[in-house]
Amino acid sequence: MSKGEDKNHQWICDKCKVQLKLKKVKVKYLEGNFEVELMKCPSCNIVLILEDLARGKMLEVEKGLEDK
Amino acid sequence: MDLDKLLETGDKCIHDEPPSCEAACPLHLDVKTFISEIERGDLKKAYKIMEKRIPFTKIIGRICDHPCEAHCVRKEAGGAIAISELERYVVTEGYSPPKKTLPMPKNKGRVAVIGGGISGLTAAFDLDRKGYRVTLYEKSNRLGGGLWSYAGKGLDSEIIEEELQKIAAMDIELCLNTSLQKDDLKEILQQYDALYLATGEWQEKLQINPHSLQVEGTSIFAGGGLIDRESMVMAASSGRRAAISIDRYISKVSLTASREREGIFETPLRFETEDEEPLNRVKKTEAVFNREEAAKEAGRCFKCQCVKCIKACSHMRSFNISPDAYVRQINHNERIILGTHYANKMINSCTLCGLCREECHLNISMKAVVQETRESMVEKNKMPVSAHDFALKDMAFSNSQRFSLVRGQPSKEQSKHLFYYPLISYSKYVQGLFLGTGKTAYLFYPGCQLPASFPDYIEEIYRYLVGSLKGDVGIYLGCCGAPADWAGRKQQADENAKEIRRRWEEMDRPTFILACSSCSSIFEKYLPEIKTISLWEIFADYGLPVSNNRIQERHILNVHDACATRYNTKIHDSIRKIAYSLGYQLQELKYTKERTKCCGYGGLVYFANRQQAEAFVEERVREGSGDMLVYCAMCKDLFVSGGKKTYHILDLLYGNATKETGLRRMPTLSERQYNRAMVKKRLLKEIWGEEAMTAEEEFGYNLIISEDIKHVMAERYILLEDIQRVIDNAQRNKERFYNVENSSYLTRLRMDNVTFWVQYEEMESNINILSVYSHRMEVVEE
Repeated sequence: MSKGEDKNHQWICDKCKVQLKLKKVKVKYLEGNFEVELMKCPSCNIVLILEDLARGKMLEVEKGLEDK
Repeated sequence: MDLDKLLETGDKCIHDEPPSCEAACPLHLDVKTFISEIERGDLKKAYKIMEKRIPFTKIIGRICDHPCEAHCVRKEAGGAIAISELERYVVTEGYSPPKKTLPMPKNKGRVAVIGGGISGLTAAFDLDRKGYRVTLYEKSNRLGGGLWSYAGKGLDSEIIEEELQKIAAMDIELCLNTSLQKDDLKEILQQYDALYLATGEWQEKLQINPHSLQVEGTSIFAGGGLIDRESMVMAASSGRRAAISIDRYISKVSLTASREREGIFETPLRFETEDEEPLNRVKKTEAVFNREEAAKEAGRCFKCQCVKCIKACSHMRSFNISPDAYVRQINHNERIILGTHYANKMINSCTLCGLCREECHLNISMKAVVQETRESMVEKNKMPVSAHDFALKDMAFSNSQRFSLVRGQPSKEQSKHLFYYPLISYSKYVQGLFLGTGKTAYLFYPGCQLPASFPDYIEEIYRYLVGSLKGDVGIYLGCCGAPADWAGRKQQADENAKEIRRRWEEMDRPTFILACSSCSSIFEKYLPEIKTISLWEIFADYGLPVSNNRIQERHILNVHDACATRYNTKIHDSIRKIAYSLGYQLQELKYTKERTKCCGYGGLVYFANRQQAEAFVEERVREGSGDMLVYCAMCKDLFVSGGKKTYHILDLLYGNATKETGLRRMPTLSERQYNRAMVKKRLLKEIWGEEAMTAEEEFGYNLIISEDIKHVMAERYILLEDIQRVIDNAQRNKERFYNVENSSYLTRLRMDNVTFWVQYEEMESNINILSVYSHRMEVVEE
């Protein structure tokens, strides 16, 4: 298990008090539409995005799409 | 965007034009690269560079009459570079045999060359290479002509023999001892497609076209001694040019098109030497330079290139680019339909300060080019949203109810409670109110950044203005639209200007008093019909405000003029007058007034490329030895962030010019908005006796935010208000994650086009912020 996934497993949904599950989630930005696997609450659907992802890969994709 | 016009602008740039030595060389030796290779010690490469341009290199390299040296710009700073001596050195030390090339099939035509001197030899050599069957006629019994007069005078006979072997080894028919006369030409011409006459003399005067060397529309071309009897290198050049003309003539191509730069020409390149240290020519100790002498002499060469704007611009240097290349990249970026727009970041890293134009010999303005490009990107929906999003939202804040305000001077009726003795005798402000007419003559427009940086001064300035000026003074808080203009959002800037115009008309066209340089330039561009005056001019002309806090300590200050008003001499003079009146000594920087530099904030570079903004700051703060004096709020913010003691002119006027003020941390982005809102509130209350209609949002807990987190917030453009809203939503709706290991919470809220995330822990009624970040990508929660 990678460090990132390890960090993901520290979090539970506070409202539903359940473990998060890795699910396919739609993300979109400008002209781009993707489906990626992210941790989400199986009950209320809230999706977890940790800082490393937001400031790393996600930012990179955002910048890439902005320059398309 | 008119890309042809853009490319024309780029073509004007002289950055890469040849240096004067190369332009003055009839063979156009790439002197700069040649000398650079000598300096690096790579003599083989230096020789190859010579060989590329100079026929019979080993001969001409030794006897060239070097017209280049008379044009060398080093002339005025220690003497022209000894190019000729360096050539001699390279042909002696750097020769390597040429690569063998396959002979061209000789099927392009037949050419006769008359005269075996250097010009005829060059033409014969070049025409053979181009695929012509060449016959070379020479009246004597050997080739070389005038070359032999140099034998023993700097040129060994062996070298002449060796070089002439080149011709012998070629497929050129040699007819020695053949003297041809005027009457022989008719017969000769019947056998050949063209003829090159390179004899030293001829029996009749020929009408030779100076560009093509053609004789009066015939198939005869003439050069060598027939056009210049003095110069060996000119003779070689005429042979080379004749070969080109003959090739064009036989191929039925224009003899003149695109040949402007074949002979000696005047280069448009300009290179200024006044700042250069004079260095004398290196003297050779023997017949030819030794390695050390050659390298030293080569080191004196300026390697002329126009870099005036680049030298002055941190942005062009960061991207290692000159205006001509910049324009080509923009052109490419604009033409891309599918694919990545690689130049976006560069285009958004120009501060639009306009110094390049001031530096340029040809007044090329990259500011104008970049501004137009940004507008085109916005129009095509290709402007990266994240580059300017925060600044535009900040502009919207300034024009919202939270800050925006227009008020005329409080009326006499409203102010009558102040008209009592002794107040009316000593308060100029009260006297100003007493003289009120009800017609607004002036509107004080402090802009958005000044109130954000100096919230405490605005009310004092307003009172000063009412007390000093003849006529009523109103106030107008808002943003002039500079962020929209810089972001290329012309339409938004136009609409913003329209609103300002409407207010101006409503107030019966008062004169605007501007305190921000960006506002001044925006008013000039979008609202030229509005009469404006700078606050600094008023201070300088109407007397300085009374202040009891003014400190006695006087520093020597370097004035940093704001780039937005680089041409506004009234502002430059006023600032200096104010500082002198207060007893300060000023030292002008090298780049000052119309040649001032940008602090790094302009053009929204601070938001689009923070590293670039920091590079501007770093460079500017190192330019002066004294503390800095500025009159733009953002200049102060940025220089202080770069560790430079910097005083705003208001710090001097209102008495807070202590060392601590010079280095005081400037408000964060959140504090800037808060300060603006406070200025409005305070003005309404203190001047007009009104309560602001907009209440700040109340949250029932106390946020603890460390300095580190504040720094991260500034870096990521996250406002306190954003964090408050995210947490408020989490606390109310429990939309959050819980960390089972450290009991912290992580929550998100999407506002407009950004999702903000906050990690925090609850500590009784306090909320301790652990981290903040955001993303623009939308995550669909379904």
